[in-house]
Amino acid sequence: MANHTPAAFENQPMWAGGRSPFNVSYGKLMMWIFLLSDAFTFSSLLVQYGAQRFSNVETAVTTVWPDPASIFNHFPFMHGLHLPLLFVSVMTFILIMSSVTMVLAVEAGHRKSKKEVQTYMIYTIIGGVMFLSCQAWEWYTFIHEGARLYGNTFGITEQGYNHLHSVGFADHFEWAPGDRTDGPVPFAALFFIVTGFHGFHVFSGVVINVVVYIMTVRGVFERRGHYEMIEKAGLYWHFVDLVWVFVFTFFYLI
Amino acid sequence: MDFHVKPGEYDAINYVPHTESHGTKELWRTFWLLLGITVLDFVIYFVMPATGLRNFIFIFFGLVKAYYIVGAFMHLKHEKINLALIILVPIIFLLGLIMGLLYEGNALTWVK
Repeated sequence: MANHTPAAFENQPMWAGGRSPFNVSYGKLMMWIFLLSDAFTFSSLLVQYGAQRFSNVETAVTTVWPDPASIFNHFPFMHGLHLPLLFVSVMTFILIMSSVTMVLAVEAGHRKSKKEVQTYMIYTIIGGVMFLSCQAWEWYTFIHEGARLYGNTFGITEQGYNHLHSVGFADHFEWAPGDRTDGPVPFAALFFIVTGFHGFHVFSGVVINVVVYIMTVRGVFERRGHYEMIEKAGLYWHFVDLVWVFVFTFFYLI
Repeated sequence: MDFHVKPGEYDAINYVPHTESHGTKELWRTFWLLLGITVLDFVIYFVMPATGLRNFIFIFFGLVKAYYIVGAFMHLKHEKINLALIILVPIIFLLGLIMGLLYEGNALTWVK
């Protein structure tokens, strides 16, 4: 291979061959293309969720989509308390935090500081495992209360209806346990499918991060002369965070 | 055209452009922004009634968060505009899919 400096490649006319027109490495470009296709995967799932939800609005005969606040209102070790949105906000915080440690690992990689990369990768892996544990608990609670992939014991109740139409702050904390009726099946099914798909992505992200961490410890990137692999793992990890932003918005907030 | 590199001399698989650290300032600013918006989401959820306006605010905040994650954390703001466009332009087509399928989903209530 001829011994050209990177500048020589970058000064090549853009579409004349012999350089990367996007000025990124092959691996990073492929990661972006993969993430674009993954974005369409999640979009199709979320659009399906939207279509199902819009077909279950209030009419004379159809059931109404349930109120998420009266379902996802549990918090570990606080049994029997009605705490809407709190647990999922903690999960969101964990994921944002692990995104920051990931990006700090990338930044440390630019400075070729092996020690800092290792530290931040460990923090990121811990964040991912914490998030997965939270999601496991969330699934356990939801299944324990009767939700299935093929059935849903959560319909709109009088209380949930009042929630959705209330203005007062205090109305959010009114809750009668066991106030149940059957609801639209896609609500539970799509919850499992979408959060399951996202959770599987988090799991693969953790595996990728562990592999990259081991490679860092063994000095693979030091010998290679650059820490670009951290950037590629980081892109995937941030994408998982990005998907969670929309899952959080559509499954819990709205 | 002025060719610096002859075809065949460019190692497409192993070529990695030189990168430099831009410091952590922008990253921490993005973190505080994301955290602030999430806290705001939490507050708005409790103080506003569940209206279309509230849903609009939540979706708008979601898009703002997405902008900062993709722009700052995934570094797309600092990549070449070519790369940003091939990633972002196809996403625009989703708008049509969303509007169409929400309308058709809603139309199902007429026959249910």
